[in-house]
Amino acid sequence: MTSGLRKAHTYIWLLLIIIVPLVMFFSMKDLAIFSLENNKMSQFESSKKEHLKTFENDIVKITVFDSQVEIILKTTLKNAASIVYEMDEKGNKSNLIGQVTTAGIYTFNTNKLLKGIIIYDDIKQVEITKFSL
Amino acid sequence: MGLNYQMVLWNKYKKAYDKIIAGSMLFYIVVFAAITLIFNSETSIETLVIRAFGSLAIIMLHIILAIGPLARLNASFLPILFNRRHLGVSMFIAALIHGGFAMFQFHALGDVNPVYSVFTSNMDYGSLSNFPFQVLGFLALLILFVMAATSHDFFLGNLSAKVWKRLHMMVYFAYAFIIAHVFLGAFQQETSLFTISSMVIGFIVIASLHLMTAFKERKIDRAKTEEHEGWLQVCHISEIEDDRAKIFTVANERVAIFKYDGMLSAIHNVCKHQGGPLGEGKIIDGCITCPWHGYQYLPSNGQSPPPFTEKVATYELKIEGETVYINPKAFDEGTEINPCKI
Repeated sequence: MTSGLRKAHTYIWLLLIIIVPLVMFFSMKDLAIFSLENNKMSQFESSKKEHLKTFENDIVKITVFDSQVEIILKTTLKNAASIVYEMDEKGNKSNLIGQVTTAGIYTFNTNKLLKGIIIYDDIKQVEITKFSL
Repeated sequence: MGLNYQMVLWNKYKKAYDKIIAGSMLFYIVVFAAITLIFNSETSIETLVIRAFGSLAIIMLHIILAIGPLARLNASFLPILFNRRHLGVSMFIAALIHGGFAMFQFHALGDVNPVYSVFTSNMDYGSLSNFPFQVLGFLALLILFVMAATSHDFFLGNLSAKVWKRLHMMVYFAYAFIIAHVFLGAFQQETSLFTISSMVIGFIVIASLHLMTAFKERKIDRAKTEEHEGWLQVCHISEIEDDRAKIFTVANERVAIFKYDGMLSAIHNVCKHQGGPLGEGKIIDGCITCPWHGYQYLPSNGQSPPPFTEKVATYELKIEGETVYINPKAFDEGTEINPCKI
């Protein structure tokens, strides 16, 4: 290499050893694998907020409060689109509440008292899990 | 070294090398598929292809990026460097299969152009955890495409070694894009300590090798020397091995001083082909032979023997006692200089 190319090579790598570790750090710091316990502990349990009902299985722990619902997704779902729906009186999905993707805690505001929750894969048209109050 | 352009220059060594590349790639894909199907039998064939070829391309890119500095640090890696281009094109093919299947699966079934969809389907550019990571992969694939498309000697000859090398140094940015693509994409969806650690260790190894090489080269560039009436003191004659060279820095450029047949000659150290270090090569059949791809130059005039046309700058030498001196002023490329008799 010429001296110019050698200098360019050095500067590029000095730049990369600053930028790449920063990208790695900030992209990893919230990953469940590095904060597994915190990500699976309810944010509301410690506040002693009164909850109406709790449902738990291998996939999720769902806690319904007055105007909020907390979903703790225990593992990342393999479904491409996992949509959270409100359950109607007949046990079918009605209003859309939100979406869950990777393992972690999701909190959604709700306007009224829920009848239940359905997590549904809108692409494959399959029910992932549901529970009723 | 070839006079005429051919699609691919193969000799028996390159054929053997290419068979190893193709066989290793096939072996990896088969093993990856088998392990995936054993532990996650619900995986779709598209997902399997995307993951297998994506991970294969990343492993190959790490190997490619390690070859350059390893060859600078240890000459025994030079044979791998001779064939790095074929490995690079093979890696691009693996990356293209990964990117092509990903674009087909996630962007080709809508009512907008798949490329437009890559950039607009997720506009959360301000987020780290939900960043549109596919854009980064697309940009990396573009760089790799330009590199693979210009890898042939036709482009090297027409773009000039300097421009070609600058263009191909874009691979370092492609590497950064790919790391960000993986960390902001795959690792956000399926987190595994093994895969994260592998990528982190891979980056540490590659970055360390490149920086070690860079600082080693910098030390050579900054070596001090004494000046006598416009001539720079190089070394004692005995420091140069027969048919080998001593590399010396003159005005920030490297010069290779060769000892052969009881004579000394000096030429610019940078090969006209891909910028290889001529001073790390040796004299074969009376010609200085580049250690990277075998390009040859006559020591007395820096010209490639006919019918080849490459030529490099030459320098004047003198010997006082047992000490070698060089005139720092370079002569025009291909200028005949009488060898300095020992």
